Amino acid sequence: MNAEPSQSGRVVLETEPTATGLTVPMWLIAAMLVLLFLGAWYFDARGGWFEAKVYEPYHSVADVARFQPRSGGDAVLLRGKVLYEQNCALCHNPDGMGKLAQAPPLAGSEWVLAAGVNRLIRIPQVGLAGPIEVKGQLWNLNMAAMGVMYPDEDLAAVLSYIRNAWGNKASVVTAEQVKKVRTELAGRSQPYAPDELKKEAE
Amino acid sequence: MKSSALVFLAAFIALSASWGGFVLAPQLQLGRAAQVKTIPAQDNYPVARPGLAAQGAEVYRSLGCVYCHSQSVGQDGVKCEIVLTDAGTNAIATLAALGKFNAELGKPTTLALLPKAILQVADMNAADPILKAISSAGAKAQVLVSALGPDMARGWGRRRTVAQDYLYDLPVQPGSRRAGPDLANVGWRWPDANWQLRHLYAPAAEVQGSTMPAYRFLFELRPLGKPAAASALQLSGAFAPPAGFEIVPTDAARALAAYLVSLRADAPLFESPFTAPAAPAAATNSPVK
Amino acid sequence: MTAIPPTSQQQIDNSCRLPLFALFGGAAVWLALSSVFGVFASLTFHKPSMFADCAMLSYGRAFPAWANLLVYGFCLPAGLGVGLWLLARLGRVELAKPWLIVVGAKLWHAGVLVGLIGILAGQSTGFEWLEMPRPAAVILFLAFMLITVWAYVTYTRRTEASLYPSQWFVLAALLWFPWIFSTATLLLQILPVRGVVQASVAWWFAGNLLNVWLTLAGLASTFYVLPKLTGRPLQSYYLALFVFWTLILFGTWTGIPAAAALPAWMPTLSGAASVMMLIPALAVVAIVILTVRGSQTPCGGGPLCFTKFAVGSLMLATVLLAISACPQVSRVTDYTWFGHGQTVLRIYGFFTMTMFGAIYHIMPQLVGPGRVCPRWMRINFWLVMPGILLLALPLVFGGIAQGLKFIDATIPFVDVSKSTLMAFRISTLGEFFIAVGNLIFLFNLLAAMVGYYRSVGKTAFAEATALQPVGVKP
Repeated sequence: MNAEPSQSGRVVLETEPTATGLTVPMWLIAAMLVLLFLGAWYFDARGGWFEAKVYEPYHSVADVARFQPRSGGDAVLLRGKVLYEQNCALCHNPDGMGKLAQAPPLAGSEWVLAAGVNRLIRIPQVGLAGPIEVKGQLWNLNMAAMGVMYPDEDLAAVLSYIRNAWGNKASVVTAEQVKKVRTELAGRSQPYAPDELKKEAE
Repeated sequence: MKSSALVFLAAFIALSASWGGFVLAPQLQLGRAAQVKTIPAQDNYPVARPGLAAQGAEVYRSLGCVYCHSQSVGQDGVKCEIVLTDAGTNAIATLAALGKFNAELGKPTTLALLPKAILQVADMNAADPILKAISSAGAKAQVLVSALGPDMARGWGRRRTVAQDYLYDLPVQPGSRRAGPDLANVGWRWPDANWQLRHLYAPAAEVQGSTMPAYRFLFELRPLGKPAAASALQLSGAFAPPAGFEIVPTDAARALAAYLVSLRADAPLFESPFTAPAAPAAATNSPVK
Repeated sequence: MTAIPPTSQQQIDNSCRLPLFALFGGAAVWLALSSVFGVFASLTFHKPSMFADCAMLSYGRAFPAWANLLVYGFCLPAGLGVGLWLLARLGRVELAKPWLIVVGAKLWHAGVLVGLIGILAGQSTGFEWLEMPRPAAVILFLAFMLITVWAYVTYTRRTEASLYPSQWFVLAALLWFPWIFSTATLLLQILPVRGVVQASVAWWFAGNLLNVWLTLAGLASTFYVLPKLTGRPLQSYYLALFVFWTLILFGTWTGIPAAAALPAWMPTLSGAASVMMLIPALAVVAIVILTVRGSQTPCGGGPLCFTKFAVGSLMLATVLLAISACPQVSRVTDYTWFGHGQTVLRIYGFFTMTMFGAIYHIMPQLVGPGRVCPRWMRINFWLVMPGILLLALPLVFGGIAQGLKFIDATIPFVDVSKSTLMAFRISTLGEFFIAVGNLIFLFNLLAAMVGYYRSVGKTAFAEATALQPVGVKP
């Protein structure tokens, strides 16, 4: 196999392989496109679109949410209760009745029990300052943006809890609703004045 | 490709894409995970292993247990059932309420031998109106959500394993083969450290027909002390030590047993919901004496 | 390009000789030792308590010793050696700094030794395919970089400007390994990431090592050796280009098993990529069939035989990889011996066979004609080839049977485990055949090297003792 010296004494190079210019067969390209399509379809159907909380056999967050346990009290409300008692109860009182010169009541409050939650979600995100009428009584206090640090799910849980605790009965707040408002309020640090809040859709 | 720059560019593009996908993205998505609350109990999960068990994890790694044992429970599906727990005082009203959903359920036999699963539903939302109807008839019911799959049927876990379960592990050893059973919940199945020690010393003594190698090098055979060592294994029959001797686990064996007992990954989390009861299903690989 | 006279074949071979001896010789030793550990590991399944008093040979240590010696001991140095040869030959240039490459090769083998001792002493990292402890990993990385630098310098000094497909594959392989290995070592051993991300990194590494690096290095050799042996040009340039792109684009996403405890997007993406791997594999088969067709070269247990069998194994392993990525199949095959069978087919069946073929093609040119025994080469082939089939196929079919029993939860697990024992008995036989074949490979290689050195010594002795100094013409 070694290079043989030729008669002139110079070394003749062993030829190294070459490649022909034959093109890639169509069937191969077609097979690739078919498999690519199937792969994309498979990912769309089962991949959960990069969600961190979606594992087989679930295919989307909504799918996982369908099986969240509710026995022993609604799980979301229970979580809301823990968070409320840690963070809100100091001013609003564990029984939601509010504290004189600190915070108005939440139990039975028309702000909390409004049919739409749009206004309610806004309050903890940027705070509320100025005179506000709650259950026929005028309060003039400031609330800080207590909820700004909470993940959407947690804020939704707290709000759901206050809408359903102490005799309150209203729809729960979802993380998507919180997220929507949060995007709208991005960058805002100015607390709402009650009059301004009333201009927002309910 | 005539130019080497193109070759390198191609390789760079391909590899950096998967590096971004399977190294960077998981790090951003899961790398800063912290303890979470279980649902609905609101306990912290996971908790760090106690000291001896943490040492045992090193023994587990060092002995290469991972080549035969996975620590990763799989799941095929999920099942949602309504369990009637209390028929209430007005059986007729209860049966009438149930009959609206399924004529079969309207028969009096439904109310016998409670609690029992009476109806399988698609999901929690489908269960809500039925629960409401049952409770307004004065009866009580719960929804039982349980994970499905061969691993669950074998009693190896109550739900699939998720990222959260490995939070404090180093190295994370999910395993790739099951020459032996999955160990993700072995501490739940066999919480007795002495059983674990006996099983390590002589697997066949505890599980008939076991194909697991014995780990005798983790134990010392020594002359019977006076008094006998408290930690000596209680063995009988063919596996008992010769008269006048006892078998004492080394520190490594004790740590490994403590680690095995600490293995439990079945806290209900958002990403792997279930409400199945805590008692293990009949494990088909339960020890046969 | 300036008119540098092309380096003569003889000069190229001279520059390659010592580095390739160092790489191939050490690789052959590790390969033989690895198959001995493979036999030990396999024996544990025949008599579980065989090594109950010997921690070092217990399955949990013999198995990673087998795997690491195979991949780091044999596959990487052999692939590097063939890659260097291709860069020198195809570039028509002498190897740059051969002695530094020899140092790199020795350093690499020292790293493997450190790693082996670490694994046997219980210092394994616990990550599959990356068990060697930190010091060994650092040594291996430095050694690889040392060799890579001079391989790249060789490449830039080439006198043949146009690139042949094999060169793309070698260059990509040279880039691939340092990247994946440094990422994995850094994120798993030096600054470990938290929780399950470790598993993701380890799977990414293993996928890139086994499904991409080995294929890159193996195909570089295949695309060179085939035209060389058949005397026909490679069919074709564009198909090879297609293989290159599809392999690196899809292969790099493989590795995460369907059952991984990771958010669904990762196993799903990886599974889709595993199926896509069929495309480069089909293209490789097309290239091989088109190139070999019409050639008169007999197969005869020689390098061509090794190469053909290797390509067949690559195709089969890829089909197994692809089907076990489908959820209905993975439900059965996950965690069974099926995956191991696939890996064995890929490493032994494809890669080591390719390397055997390439080494049996290269070595005679380094040691001179007649020193590599063709008879032992044929015996090597006829031992290793059935050995691989006897090892891999029982694992694949046994794995399917095991999985089908497993998903029926009424069958006690002990019975599921026992059902694989028959497959295991057959595969131990395969393991044994392979071990003997690997030993023959080792002795064939060593004998050739010794023969070469003896002839060099004889010539030198004759020159030294000659009455007239050589080169001085009377």
